[in-house]
Amino acid sequence: MALVLKNRLCSYFTGKTTILLLLSVVFFFAPSETAAQRRFSKTYPATRNVRLTLTNRSGTVTVEGWNRSEVQIQAYLEAPAASINPQVLNGTILINMVKDNYGRGDLGSVNFTIRVPFDAAVDIETKVGNLNVSNIRGTLVRAKISSDGDITLTNISAQWVAAENGIGNIFFDGDIQSGGTYRFTSMSGDINLRVPFNSSFKLIATAPSTRSINLGSFSNGNMRFVGDGRRVTGQVGDGSSYITVTNQRGTIAFIRR
Amino acid sequence: MVRLEFDLLFEEMNCEECQEHISQYLDGEIEVELSSNIRTHLSVCAECAKLYEDFSVILESCRDTNIIPSEIVPPNSQALWCRINNLIESEIKPEPPEEPKKGWLSHGWNLTFSQAGAAVIAVALISSLLTIVGIRNYFAPSGEDFTSRSSASQTTFEKVLSKIGLADTPQQARERRIREQQAAIDYWTKRVQERRGQWDVKMRDAFDRNLHLIDESVSEYTIILQENPDDDLTGEMLDTVLNDKMDLLREFSDL
Repeated sequence: MALVLKNRLCSYFTGKTTILLLLSVVFFFAPSETAAQRRFSKTYPATRNVRLTLTNRSGTVTVEGWNRSEVQIQAYLEAPAASINPQVLNGTILINMVKDNYGRGDLGSVNFTIRVPFDAAVDIETKVGNLNVSNIRGTLVRAKISSDGDITLTNISAQWVAAENGIGNIFFDGDIQSGGTYRFTSMSGDINLRVPFNSSFKLIATAPSTRSINLGSFSNGNMRFVGDGRRVTGQVGDGSSYITVTNQRGTIAFIRR
Repeated sequence: MVRLEFDLLFEEMNCEECQEHISQYLDGEIEVELSSNIRTHLSVCAECAKLYEDFSVILESCRDTNIIPSEIVPPNSQALWCRINNLIESEIKPEPPEEPKKGWLSHGWNLTFSQAGAAVIAVALISSLLTIVGIRNYFAPSGEDFTSRSSASQTTFEKVLSKIGLADTPQQARERRIREQQAAIDYWTKRVQERRGQWDVKMRDAFDRNLHLIDESVSEYTIILQENPDDDLTGEMLDTVLNDKMDLLREFSDL
């Protein structure tokens, strides 16, 4: 009886030891995400109508408006970590990851979370990665992705909005201001625009490949399909602003807010 | 003595006088004394003798040939020789200094009021035409105008300009634009080729994927335009995707 108990205990401890050893090996060699990331954080006082200009290489950029007169930049730099060197010039906060890391080939992505005053002008671009902008009521919002990535602009109230990407979706949810200009361009993906029902604008929407242009409740007698349905031109309300949408190989849809 | 005689004879007739009377001498329409002087001068002056020979050959040719009809031989040979002589003299003598030019109105440009009005209108029209052509060409690369338009959407005025060669046809403008874009694309492609070795895999994949997609669109639009050159929208889209390609290459060339 005692011998049986001893054998069981031995096998029990031997099994546990093996598991512990295996786990320690796994933890030792597995790449630790938190250890690989370097964190950058800096806060700048913001003047009225501050402008943020960011050029990233790869990674996700999130810009949020907040009710403070300061700009907070947080960045998570994956290894090998890129150099980051924000500059403040005449009310503009400049971050240029391409210039700051010119000639450095293999760099990890940099994921930014930036908070700016509501009335800031936001001008961001990246080569690869997603761009998100929300809660901005400044004069300008521009987001450009040179290749792959989604653009999401939510709760935007700006006179000049431009979103451009290669492969990826574009979503805009915001106001269309009188006298404003709104331009959305994609090579492939879906462009969805959610705007207030009482918006007034002149529209040129072109989807030459899919011919999928859904005006939703903005469709009216002033709209004209041209080029065998590849383009829609027309006017909604008094046409006090301009919306240009071009999606070479994707769809375009308007959603009433 | 001989030398003195030679000098005297030579002094009696100079080259200018000899050449002045040489045609009359050839025609035998000259006084005996003058004829003698000429003969003497020709015997001692190689230059005038050469001229005499040339004139003789020309005269013989005119008289002997049957190819030249008799009616075109001037009846007054003396007058002809005078003219030839004058021509030779005009070549030899230095040109008199030019008189200061008088105003164009003084050369018989006495225009009536209606003629002057018409001239002003013509100048205004031509300058307007040139201005329009200039402006049209200046704005040509914008992509959403003349370069991406078909002949169907041309105005009559533009068609006239195209016909007379003052402006490109939409097709020519489009081809020119594509050539310019292609040159820029070639340049940026070389730059990208130099740099892409340093990109990471993620960056290379994203670039290649997007470039491939753009190239597909370029091919599609090119085929459509070959089938239907008047397709304005496709022309515009081709221009757009070529610009997109240029942008993509340029933006990745600085990595």
